Amino acid sequence: MSNAFRSELLKQRSTRTVLALFAAMVGLVALAVVLHGVGLPVDALDDRSRQLIVLGLGGFLGSLFAALLGALSITSEIRHGTIRPTFLVTPQRSRVVAAKAVVCVLVGAAFGLVAAVIAIGTGTTTLDGRGVEVLVNIDDAALLVAGGTIASALWAAIGVGVGAIVRRQVPTLVGLCAWLLFVEGLLADATGGLGEVGRYLPGAAAAAISGQEPDRLLAPALGLAVLGLYTAGSSLLGAFTMSRRDVE
Amino acid sequence: MHDRNRSRPRNAPSSAAIQPVIVNSLTKRFGDVLAVDDLSFSLRTGTVTGFLGPNGAGKTTTLRLLLGLAEPTAGEALVFGRRYRDLDEPARRVGAVLESNDFHPGRSGRDHLRTLGIAGGIAASRVDDVLALVELESVARRRVQTYSLGMRQRLGLAAAMLGDPELLVLDEPANGLDPAGVRWLRQCLRAFADGGGTVLVSSHMLAEAAQTVDEVVIIDRGRRIASGALDELTERGRTTLEELFLELTGAAS
Repeated sequence: MSNAFRSELLKQRSTRTVLALFAAMVGLVALAVVLHGVGLPVDALDDRSRQLIVLGLGGFLGSLFAALLGALSITSEIRHGTIRPTFLVTPQRSRVVAAKAVVCVLVGAAFGLVAAVIAIGTGTTTLDGRGVEVLVNIDDAALLVAGGTIASALWAAIGVGVGAIVRRQVPTLVGLCAWLLFVEGLLADATGGLGEVGRYLPGAAAAAISGQEPDRLLAPALGLAVLGLYTAGSSLLGAFTMSRRDVE
Repeated sequence: MHDRNRSRPRNAPSSAAIQPVIVNSLTKRFGDVLAVDDLSFSLRTGTVTGFLGPNGAGKTTTLRLLLGLAEPTAGEALVFGRRYRDLDEPARRVGAVLESNDFHPGRSGRDHLRTLGIAGGIAASRVDDVLALVELESVARRRVQTYSLGMRQRLGLAAAMLGDPELLVLDEPANGLDPAGVRWLRQCLRAFADGGGTVLVSSHMLAEAAQTVDEVVIIDRGRRIASGALDELTERGRTTLEELFLELTGAAS
């Protein structure tokens, strides 16, 4: 395992993909938080729950970019054909998928940590600048950072699993973006708000970990457990299908 | 079968007795198409074997089955007596190139080799050794997207040689090479076999193959239609490999 792990680590470091994703994420987090903080009317920002949602954009976008990172780690190998030499050197394909998942969990956690901190920093600064009292306390901030980090780490592994199952790069990336940005929200709307089922969807579970909307979402610990199940499920299914299917 | 005295494989003399490749009643079906149909052949240590056939004959599919990238529908393909995936350190036994462009365009040639070397538990110094072998040292730190096709072919071969293997499996390695590159490749394969290694090289370029290989396996529509020492096959009808091939595959006009 350690050889495969070290190889995956070098793969991540030896292209500009991770750096480009990271830069895009940082810029987008700052932009999204500032736009919400400046654009929303003051009376939509002056309670703690709404402020948590704005500051939680860090963890949300961290999760999205971590998922893309995970998906790219495997679909780019399939797209560029490096999957062939990779599997020639390590014919135990589930070992390769596992190594990718572990590396992406680590890098994804870093993505989530940075995104959450940037969101809290720019968010509180923006609210201050508009003269809106910051109602998010230090415990809330700690949960936002911890939750954003953990959710991003798990979403990175989900991205690896989905990439291993879908294999084609563009559908994988579009699918992950669409799910997190629109589909879960639309499903929730169509079913009259986040009902019993909606709370257990992976995006909602991720948001729950950082203490978002306690009235509608699961408790943080339960959100973590649910997202952990999605992570385990997609990783195992990804490793299984990767091992079973022929490589083109 | 002609006899050549060649030294034994360098890093596993004990395996000299085991045939490097045994393909036994190998069959692969894709839906209604039989890509490989009850194919059997084996390789002898220290030879360069040309794996020849028209486009679509099943050459690449056979090599993928041999290297564990695809599962046979029936039969078996063994390297050193085992399925590829059951080899303990496959990169140290077998080096293979299936496509000429299996690189991330944004990664340097050197880093490409490093990722594979680390995964295979191969000493880091081998990266520079194989870069020197394929004469790519001067561009090794450039991203692969700046490489010519010839450079990419060489980088693929470097990756195959990384583990100092006993068997080389190459799918159409001469595609896109200029005459100097083809000659370089031929000398490289000959030197590898003369050092005790075994080479299986697929090709549809017969004139070139005839200059490189000792033995041939010719397949058409997934079935073996001829095999043996090149000398014997071409002498039998006092013919060239090209004429033999066209006659056997029914493509002669």
